[in-house]
Amino acid sequence: VSEDGKSAELDRTRIASLVAESSGEKWSLIPLLQRIQDELGYIPPDSIPVIARGLGLFPSQVQGVISFYTQLYTHPRGRNVVRVCRGTACHVRGGKTILKLVKQNLGVEEGETTEDMEYTLETVACIGVCALAPNLVVGDHVYGHVNPKKVEQLFKNGGKRG
Amino acid sequence: LQPVTITLNGREVSGLAGTTILELATESGVDIPTLCHDVNLAPVGACRVCLVEEERSGGLLASCVTPIASGMVINTHSERVVEHRKTIVKLMLASHPDSCVVCDKGNRCQLRQLASDMGIGLLGFERLLPVSVSEELNPFLERDLSKCILCAKCIRACQELVVEGAIDYYQRGFAARPATVGDVPLEYSECTFCGTCVALCPTGALMEKETAYRGTSHTSVETTCPWCGCGCSLDVEAKDGRIVRVRPGGNGSENKGALCVRGSYGYDFVHSPDRLTTPLVREEGALREASWDEALEVVAGGLARLKSEHGGDSLAVLGSPKCTNEENYLLQRFSRTVLGTNNIDNGSRLYNAASREGLGASLGFSGTTNRLSHLEHAGAILVVGADPDVCAPVVSYAIKRAVKQKGARLIVIDPRRTKLSSFADVWLRPRVGTDVVLMNALCKVVIDQGLFDDEFVSRRTDNFDALAEELRECDLAFVESATGVGYEGILQAARLYSAVSQAAIVYGTGVTQYPNGPAAVRALANLVLLTGNVGRSGGGVYALQMDANGQGACDVGALPDFLPGYRSVSDAEGRERLEGLWESPLPREAGLTAVELLGGPSAGRVKGLYVVGDNVMLGFPNGRRVAELLASLDLLVVQDIFLTETARMATVVLPGASFAEKDGTYTSFDGSVRKLQVAVPAPGASLPDGEIVMRLAEKMGTPMRYSSPAAVMDEIVEVCSLPGYRAYVDGSYAQADSGSKRQDELGNGWGVGRIYGGLFPEGFARFCPSAYVPVGDSPGDYPFTLVTGPTLFRFGTGARGSRSSRLERFCPAGFVEMCLRDAESLEVKASQRVRIASPVGVVECGVRVTETLPQGTVFVPCSFPDIPVNQLFDVAVDGEGMNASCRSCSVRIERIECRE
Repeated sequence: VSEDGKSAELDRTRIASLVAESSGEKWSLIPLLQRIQDELGYIPPDSIPVIARGLGLFPSQVQGVISFYTQLYTHPRGRNVVRVCRGTACHVRGGKTILKLVKQNLGVEEGETTEDMEYTLETVACIGVCALAPNLVVGDHVYGHVNPKKVEQLFKNGGKRG
Repeated sequence: LQPVTITLNGREVSGLAGTTILELATESGVDIPTLCHDVNLAPVGACRVCLVEEERSGGLLASCVTPIASGMVINTHSERVVEHRKTIVKLMLASHPDSCVVCDKGNRCQLRQLASDMGIGLLGFERLLPVSVSEELNPFLERDLSKCILCAKCIRACQELVVEGAIDYYQRGFAARPATVGDVPLEYSECTFCGTCVALCPTGALMEKETAYRGTSHTSVETTCPWCGCGCSLDVEAKDGRIVRVRPGGNGSENKGALCVRGSYGYDFVHSPDRLTTPLVREEGALREASWDEALEVVAGGLARLKSEHGGDSLAVLGSPKCTNEENYLLQRFSRTVLGTNNIDNGSRLYNAASREGLGASLGFSGTTNRLSHLEHAGAILVVGADPDVCAPVVSYAIKRAVKQKGARLIVIDPRRTKLSSFADVWLRPRVGTDVVLMNALCKVVIDQGLFDDEFVSRRTDNFDALAEELRECDLAFVESATGVGYEGILQAARLYSAVSQAAIVYGTGVTQYPNGPAAVRALANLVLLTGNVGRSGGGVYALQMDANGQGACDVGALPDFLPGYRSVSDAEGRERLEGLWESPLPREAGLTAVELLGGPSAGRVKGLYVVGDNVMLGFPNGRRVAELLASLDLLVVQDIFLTETARMATVVLPGASFAEKDGTYTSFDGSVRKLQVAVPAPGASLPDGEIVMRLAEKMGTPMRYSSPAAVMDEIVEVCSLPGYRAYVDGSYAQADSGSKRQDELGNGWGVGRIYGGLFPEGFARFCPSAYVPVGDSPGDYPFTLVTGPTLFRFGTGARGSRSSRLERFCPAGFVEMCLRDAESLEVKASQRVRIASPVGVVECGVRVTETLPQGTVFVPCSFPDIPVNQLFDVAVDGEGMNASCRSCSVRIERIECRE
């Protein structure tokens, strides 16, 4: 059994026990999806029928909820989510160029994840610290007044964290 | 509930609290346009077209989801409301393609109707590009989501009515659309192509993919589905004498706007080029075309000669569970008076005999004790030996609705995994043919644990002591070894079933088609009586039928031992009454059953056989012996709509009419009588089957004259005294209304609890202990247990299914299903061919590997003429008479080596 196979098996067991904890609870779908995503980083599509059976829903209903909320993902995501701000303040301070540079540095487009699963690139409409524009966020950490040099430093070594 | 009064368009109206504005407006004759609303679906307020104005608050409310409140002042068509409504429709049109001119939905499109009614011309909005069109491979339905207005009718139909849940909303905003899991084409989803969503879709987003005939339909006729015994109401739309489409019929009918794939798309056989259009007569070994006069002359002459030479009992008639009540009634009268024999039976013998014996003995009436609609009120449902998703889809919908929406508990007893078993609280998986043991064990547990209804048992039943005595012998260790089901499961099932005051048992051919079927039915009737589940809404026993009119054919007397209305042929009083009515003596001795006729030791007694609407060559056990017997007859008359395997053997073939070409009635499995009406003319010279029988009687010099099928029905009501028929004639025959609401309003024993609302026919119901007789050990040479049955897409003997173009193409070939371990032990892979042999026959077919079967059990469908699985079965004679086992047998399977 490959390393991947083992971890997929572990994930399945974990999902099954999370589902078992939630079944019987009312309105338990969204908290359950969040719990699964918290632990695994995403909601594996093949867990949809398991979740549906556990909660007495149709798989199509579970998929409908997952696809409605942008916070829920059915694809694995990087260990760090990079969010480049595209708000007005950041835009006038060169946010567009920052985004272009981050793409170049990570070698991925918006919504994609680097091959080593280190980073997922997203954009955000505004993070509320316009005074620091242009901004980007890595995980929970906000980087203000970013410039090409800072971007390069942040993601040097092909995106590996220095 | 207090009435609430509101002002509606300046007029005071009142309705019960909880009524929506839309419902009250509709009741008051005010028309509010809607797109997403349907009486059979829960309202969601998705389209906003039904918005109305509340004058005091100035609010605009979606009337379909807003309940009335005291003092509301509602305007449905004020200038402001109409302006808003127009904007909403315009916005829908702005994201809708410009293809109305070529869209097949045409004037049936509700969006287009609405735009036209409101006088919407130029939109004045920038248009959105429509999203891409999805490709479908199936021949039934097509999705063009660029025309979707997101009303969610399809989603609700799938989740609420059919309870399949194949689709739901997917994604959000402009990308939102109904989609399957993984957004795959429907063929790869749970979709069963029932067509319910297509019938509800207000636009051209969901449409029939192919129609046998295109064009704007000129007529729409409400009639009854000819496939299974559910009796679903259909609207048949036709043009130029051709069916254009079929939609679920009649508001308020039992199918609630839902159908299955057979009902929606299975009518193609009506216009098959294989239809018989003229009588055929055998001449020098070959069948040639003949006139009606000539063909009937040959038949009448032949029957008369055999009768005078060998007596009436040398002749026999087989009526048809696919023909109407009126036709079967005429046939049994023809057999008894014109031919002078009780040798009249019908093909439902193969699955109804067990119910007749079993329920007849214990309840005094052989049939479903309650209405289909009441099944949804059951608190617990036990499904045994039936896969309603296949053999009675609308029953399955009702069961799933009861489970999903009303919290009913479900117990499934079936060796095969069915769709319902995934909805079940308890799924017991007994060995094939051991239902008697399991049902007895359930009864024993119910008695031992004190779970039975003491009052009902003591006041309404007798013979309890005999049952208790018999069950004392029942050893639960033996039960486990015989059935493979452990005590825990049995206890759990018994508790779930007896814990509620309204519990139903649904059983089907998986119980009745075994030699021990009557015993199994008696055992489950005991369980029903122990828990007092007769004469209650939601409780009862539901006996599923295989054919559209299996119940009716028996009710009206197409039986060798019963006159119409189940009066025994030996009952002098019943006989005299009919002798007076028909002005002819009636034979007193019970005739031969269809099984005896076609396979028993007395088979040779019959020299002339008249088969109507039944392909006995593929339907009856031991097909080869049936063929030999038919070949040995002096006269074989076959009346059918196709030149079936049976018809090819005939001396004379008479072309009958299909369901869409005649008037009459079917009786559904729950005893409701349903109307058939002419939708299209019969092809060529073919005639309605009843008309043929009357002409034949005339030709034989003993006319039976009725002015119409309705006149026959009037006589049936007089003669049969069964509640369903009386209710039908009183309520609806004259008014071209096959809806069943009316029947509810009538007394006639059709109210809550239906038949046994009063008392049992004998005053008491009788417990009938039923010992288990093993089906017979499988000999070592035949290690596999073969089970047969219909499939969703192919049904019956396959005569109609193989000629229904869309069903045939979607499910073209038969197969044998087995589990992976069996396939591995036989060293076969999927689609490799195998030879299946029983002691009496051999068939060959391709393999399908499935997870639904236990090891050692294989499934071969019965509805493919290229795999005549009936050739593997034999007729078994047991203590209770001749019973055909046509459900299961022991077989040997071997791989067919491919020639390289």
